Amino acid sequence: MTGRVIVITSGKGGVGKTTTSANIGTALAKEGYKVVLIDTDLGLRNLDLLLGLENRIVYTIVDVIEERCKLKQALVKDKKNPNLQLLAAAQTRDKSAVSAEQLKEICEKLKETNDFVLVDCPAGIEQGFQNAVAGASEAIVVTTPEMSAIRDADRIIGLLGPKEEITSVKLLLNRVRPNLIKTNEMMSVDDVAEILEIPLVGIIPEDTGIITSTNKGDPIVNNEEALAGKAYRNVAQRILGEEVPFLDLDEPKGFVEKIKNVFAKLKAKV
Amino acid sequence: MSIFTDIYNTVAKFFRQSDEPVIGEASKAVAANRLKLVLMQDRTNLTPKVLEQMRGEMIDLLSKYLEMDKDMLELNFEQEGDQVALMLSIPVIRAKDEEEIEAAIAKEDTDITESNSEEDSDEDNEEEIVDLEEEIEEDVVDEESTKSKKRSSKKVSAPEELQGNHENVENMEEQSCELETQQEVVCENQES
Repeated sequence: MTGRVIVITSGKGGVGKTTTSANIGTALAKEGYKVVLIDTDLGLRNLDLLLGLENRIVYTIVDVIEERCKLKQALVKDKKNPNLQLLAAAQTRDKSAVSAEQLKEICEKLKETNDFVLVDCPAGIEQGFQNAVAGASEAIVVTTPEMSAIRDADRIIGLLGPKEEITSVKLLLNRVRPNLIKTNEMMSVDDVAEILEIPLVGIIPEDTGIITSTNKGDPIVNNEEALAGKAYRNVAQRILGEEVPFLDLDEPKGFVEKIKNVFAKLKAKV
Repeated sequence: MSIFTDIYNTVAKFFRQSDEPVIGEASKAVAANRLKLVLMQDRTNLTPKVLEQMRGEMIDLLSKYLEMDKDMLELNFEQEGDQVALMLSIPVIRAKDEEEIEAAIAKEDTDITESNSEEDSDEDNEEEIVDLEEEIEEDVVDEESTKSKKRSSKKVSAPEELQGNHENVENMEEQSCELETQQEVVCENQES
């Protein structure tokens, strides 16, 4: 088996890299694929929290590299889905504890026995970023429709470009707020995609459900009702090669909204 | 009666189209334009240092022909539709006469080896100067202008209007003449 190694990166912090990693990983595992999530944010680990695995971590990636344990021992199985495993970051070490070469080696080993290896990249463009992308052959760049996030994403795309091993760079636009786009207060999906000039793999609406799902340590893809959960499940489908249309975020959800929409259209015709 | 108007208003509000573009209209466009410019600079490595160097070289070049207010020189990128233009705006005090220009060129010839070595420094800039248009507009004779002292004894005999740009007409009362050098810059993004 030769799995795919995908790095999830963004440049800017706080745009949802870790949430995206947790959700795409969970969604792919739900589809029956074997997935390993690697948290490479040494010193600031969070992926364990989003998956609710913080109490189960015994060994970390640094323990593997410094040969205090075997790679297999450091993999923590997800509570709900044994297809999903986490290789946690060390909380007490910094980025220099790991080299790009060592991370690449870990990715090589993991992809022999898994369908997907998802690498959650730390913010920034320094060593941590270089480490995280070292073993990857694909990249998902996460951004939000805000200027600072887009600028940083552009920088990341520029840095990924010359890397020959990375054959695919795709954009995931997170925290989209359709009501702000409607009033032209926020850049639209098309605006961002046009500026960054890379293909879209997903559009995730802002969803308060993300907060509660983080609180519970249960990724939102496990919530069948949530719109963001559906959007992330669609991203997983696209990664698997399916052609899934992007969610129409403008679509009225309830009966009342539909009626309002009909009247709005009538009014527009008149 | 007021109850009925209240009900009417509530109903009307209910059916009103909520997505009418209101105040925020500009903010998205402003963000997109600012981003395009800043990314253009990021992608081409056009750092403030490089811009400053360009500014200096342009001053050197134009100083041969014109006496100008160097402190007031402005060099900016502006977005016009899909194109990014490099706008250079310099208040011109007067045009130099032929002797002065010849002297300046002669002086430059002696320094040529020096300046060549400077120019050779590769800056990796990806732009291509497509078009260089200079527009010198002759001042309307303004006897009462406070700046009349600065004006040259020789009047600038410049082509009236090379380009249909009338934006500076107002400024001309303050400046004896205004030169606007416009370089259209085609930005090629180094990687897509």
